[in-house]
Formats: sequence, C-alpha cells, structure tokens
Amino acid sequence: MMENLKAITKDELLNEGEKLLTGGAKFITAVCRDLGEQLEVTYFFSLKGGTEMYPLRYTVNKEEEVPSFSQITLATVLIENEMKEMFGLKVKDLALDFGGHLLLAQDSPVTPLLKTTGKTASKGGD
Amino acid sequence: MGLIEKSRIKSPWILHFDNSSCNGCDIEILACLTPLYDVERFGMVNMGNPKHADVLLITGPVNRRTARVLKNLYAQVPDPKIVIAVGTCASSGGVFHNCYNVLGGVDKVIPVDVYIPGCAARPEAIIDGVVLALQKLASLRGDKK
Amino acid sequence: MAARTTVPFGPQHPVLPEPIQLKITYEDEKVVEVVPAIGYGHRGIEKACELNEYTKNIYLCERICGICSYIHSVSVVEVTEKLWPVELPPRVKYLRTIWAEMSRTHSHLLWLGLLADAFGFESMFLQFWRIRERVLDLLEMTTGQRVIQSVNVVGGVRRDISPEQKKTCIETLNTVRKESEALIKVLTKDYTVKSRTIGKGVLTKEQALQLGCAGPTLRGSGVREDARLTKYDAYGELNYEPVVEEAGDSYARALVRARELFQAIDLQLEALAKLPEGEIAVRVRGNPPANEDVMRTEAPRGELFYYAKGNGTRNLERLKVRTPTFANIPSLLVMLPGCELADVPVIVLSIDPCISCTER
Repeated sequence: MMENLKAITKDELLNEGEKLLTGGAKFITAVCRDLGEQLEVTYFFSLKGGTEMYPLRYTVNKEEEVPSFSQITLATVLIENEMKEMFGLKVKDLALDFGGHLLLAQDSPVTPLLKTTGKTASKGGD
Repeated sequence: MGLIEKSRIKSPWILHFDNSSCNGCDIEILACLTPLYDVERFGMVNMGNPKHADVLLITGPVNRRTARVLKNLYAQVPDPKIVIAVGTCASSGGVFHNCYNVLGGVDKVIPVDVYIPGCAARPEAIIDGVVLALQKLASLRGDKK
Repeated sequence: MAARTTVPFGPQHPVLPEPIQLKITYEDEKVVEVVPAIGYGHRGIEKACELNEYTKNIYLCERICGICSYIHSVSVVEVTEKLWPVELPPRVKYLRTIWAEMSRTHSHLLWLGLLADAFGFESMFLQFWRIRERVLDLLEMTTGQRVIQSVNVVGGVRRDISPEQKKTCIETLNTVRKESEALIKVLTKDYTVKSRTIGKGVLTKEQALQLGCAGPTLRGSGVREDARLTKYDAYGELNYEPVVEEAGDSYARALVRARELFQAIDLQLEALAKLPEGEIAVRVRGNPPANEDVMRTEAPRGELFYYAKGNGTRNLERLKVRTPTFANIPSLLVMLPGCELADVPVIVLSIDPCISCTER
C-alpha cells in the first residue's frame, strides 16, 4: 500500500504542493485514473533524498476544470498536458499548452486512456 | 554492368530511420559500425541525408506521426533503392500490435525488400540482411531517373 | 536588436539516434527560447498494458526502451509483486541487482561514447563501444540475450548464474574496469573535452529540484538523491553511496556517469561475491488483488517510477510509467537559453535523452 497518501480537494492542490516544495520536496509525477463518472488524480512528491514519498490525491467530475500546478513549477507541464490529452482532464492555465498534441498525432484516437474509448481504439489482435 | 552500378554495390550508403522503436535495434545498428562488427569493411557508410542514400534501414513499428515522415523520406531516396525492415516490430508491428497509436509494420506504408527478424535483431543478422539486400540491388538497374 | 530566427532541431538529427524536435529560437548565434515537441515515438503502451494479461506486460514494458530494458522489466515485475505482496527469495534479489548494474554499465559506456561522438571525438566513441561489447557478451551469456533480456517473471527470474559463469563475469568485469580507466583518463584530462563541456548547460541545485530532474542530471547539480537509497532488491545489503558532483554543467554530468560506471562494476563484483544460495523463483497464485502500489527504481538515466492498480482480474486496472527523460526534458528549457548554437547537441545529450522511454 502507499504510504503518506493524503486526500485533498482540487482547490487545495496548489497550496499543499507549494508547502511540500518549500520543504525541499521534489515533484515526481502525477497519475490519472478513470473511475467511470469521475477522474482520480494523484500528485507524487519525494522527500529526503528520494527515500520518502508524499502523494496528494483529489477526485473530480469529468467535466470539472482543475488548476494547473505548472504555475508553480515547470516540472509538471508535460504530465499535465499528457493527462489532458489522454483522459480529457480539463486543466486550465497551463504554462505551456501543447493543445492535445504532445504525444498524440492528428489522426490518433481522442482521450485513448479512458475506459470507454479503450476497446474501440485498439486495433488488430485480441 | 556500368561503372555506377558496380560501385553502388561495392559501397552502398545507408540511411537509418527510427520510427518509434524501443532503441534496441537502433543500438544494434550502431554496434554494427563499431570495431567488433565493422560494416565499413563492406563499404557501407551511415549517412544523415536521404538524397545520398541507396539503402533505407528502418527500425520500429510505424506510428501515426512517423508514417508521414517515412513516406517523405522514401520519396527522397533516389532510385534504385532498397528498403530493409530491421527487427520484429518493423516487420510486423510485433509486440506493439495492439497499441492504439501503432499502424503496424513498415510495409503498411512503403514497400519493403528485406525483413530482418529478431528482437532485437543481432548485428550478425543485420549484416546478413544488408548483404542480401545488395544482391537484390545488383539486379536492379537505375533506369528510373 | 539582432534578428530572431527559429530553427527546428530534429526530429531527424545526426546526434540523436531518436526522434525529438526542439524548436529553438536564436538571436544571432545565441539561443533565446526552446520549445520541445515530442510524440514521434508514442505507441500507447500504457493502454495496451490494461488490455493485456499482467504476465504479458513484462514483455511489453521491457520494450519501452531497449537500452534500460532490464530496469523496466524489474520495475514492472516488482510493482506487480507488491500488489499481493510476494516475498522473494534472496538469490532473486541479488540476481536482479547484478543484471541491473550490468545494464547500467553498458548504458553508461554507450552514453560516454555518444558524448564523444557529439563533439566529434570519433575514435573515443568507437573505443567506448568496443568495451561495451564485453558487457553485452556477459549479458548474453547469463541471460541469453544481448539487448532485451526477458529474464524476469512475476515471482522470480528464469535463469541462474552458474559458478563457471560467475568466474567469467568477475574476469571480464575486471578487464572492463582496466580498459575504461584508461579511456576515462582521456575524458577527465583532455583539453578538448573540457573546453566543450565545462560551464556548458549549467543547472543549479535549486533549479534541478524545482524542475523535478532525476538521475545523473540531478546528482550532477549537487543533490544527493537516488532511488537505490530506498533499498529495493539487494541494495540495502551492499556498500552503496550515490555519486554526487557539485558543478551542475555538462562536464559534471559526464563525471557522475563516469564514476557510476566504476561504482556499478564494484556493486556487481560485491553482489557476485555475496550471492546467496537458494531458489530462483517462487510460485505466485491467482490474479493481482485490487490493491495499488508504486515502485521506484534507479534506471541508468534516473529514477523510474511505476504505478500499478489491480482489480482482481488477470488485467491490471491501470499501469503508469514515468521515465527519467520525461522528468529531465523541462531542464532543457533552463539549460539551453544563453548557450551557443554549436553547443546545443552536447547539452541536449548531457541529460542522456531516451525518447522511446519518454513517449511510451
């Protein structure tokens, strides 16, 4: 199981994360997961030379807008763009917006990592 | 056989293109150039410019973004040209067959002359494949200008 | 004011074997702005991992990257094992450590060669790659494959290192060390090498932490951070201390990798000497339970992060991979502005970019 997991709301993200960063933490990555009606987003921070980890987790409805952590550090800009195009997570005020084409090409499936689009998007094989 | 045909086989210039491979085959191609395997003894030189190349060496499965680049490169290589698909992914899509952004093997986009299987393809196999391609190149005449 | 020009660097560029594009804006010869454009290597592996059975994920994940493929397979196997959790026999932990350090040795030799190639030192490039072939021979002898090893399974490993192989490993590693020492001397003393790397692409300690860098890029800026400090596999029982350099420039990053090369050889020799007897695999029953966990391992390029969530079926609910280059690309946005056009290839290479990792 994951240690130190802290549930927050989406509005607390910037404050909580900034507190960790000023305490010497380093942003690792964020993970998004499709819960059906909602999306679950977890931001992972590491502390003490990488030996301790602090995940912050919030859950939002799919159509809700969420703040971007890239206002505080550029470290999150790629992963937030990725979550935006893979899950359709509505991240606002991105420091560097790739407009949904960071990884996906013009003719790639849209929001491929959502459970509903998954089966139809895969091609060939089983 | 004219002078140009003869020298083309003695010193084929190669253009290496990485579609979206895992790097495994790419580092094996680079390993071919290093002292242990040393393909330069066959006169092969790795080029960065498609217009200088005779042989197109392609690794990795074609994905939706590189398909266009690959067609573009193929069009720029002057005739007669040979296309070699290095590794299982380039031959058929391999382990990535059910990834949503992968179209499949190189032959989905451009015609392929030689397939080199293996994951990753060994340097010996790559050298064998290129030598096989040269035999085909010898039979092609540069009629198409 | 001088005129500004935007020039695309890549996606096909001689210094990069892989496709990445940097849109670089220059003012005369000076770089003023960089925008990375990636996506040429995107395949969609995370989705395919949800569609495949969990046992097949190993073969898919180790093909995320062909250079650090062994660490990818260790990570995906161990994050899946943590869902039960599975208790591993000590010999498995040591074998995984030995192979992981072996792949670090070959990856660092590869990178040192590419660095030499980036500033036009071709004979050094070929010499480093000549030594690297010895390490690949060891990998082939012990695991059966040069590049993609496919030796891990959930619950253990598929091959063992026999006493004769152990003897060959020790002999070869000592040769590799002797030959590398001679070459590293050139790297650390040569005027040309120093003039191309010292003071180029400086990243301060604060910037490195702020941008969330990983691996040698982070340690080259004076931060003592390494996923091996979490003591996964056998690292808790080995004599291990991260390599840290203070300067934060391309030269410091090269020194970190050069010193890690020898450290990796020492770790392999130590692990081979301590290698405990016992089973090389345990039987794992049933499907991954509905737990979630993360695994952090140290790949040659930095910290590799895997997140897995099971749901009690043969398929995982979610598998997320964060690779070290994904974390290191933002640092280019800080390092490149202010440098000169001719230094761009060396600085880009100094983070050891692995694009197929980044885009999965």
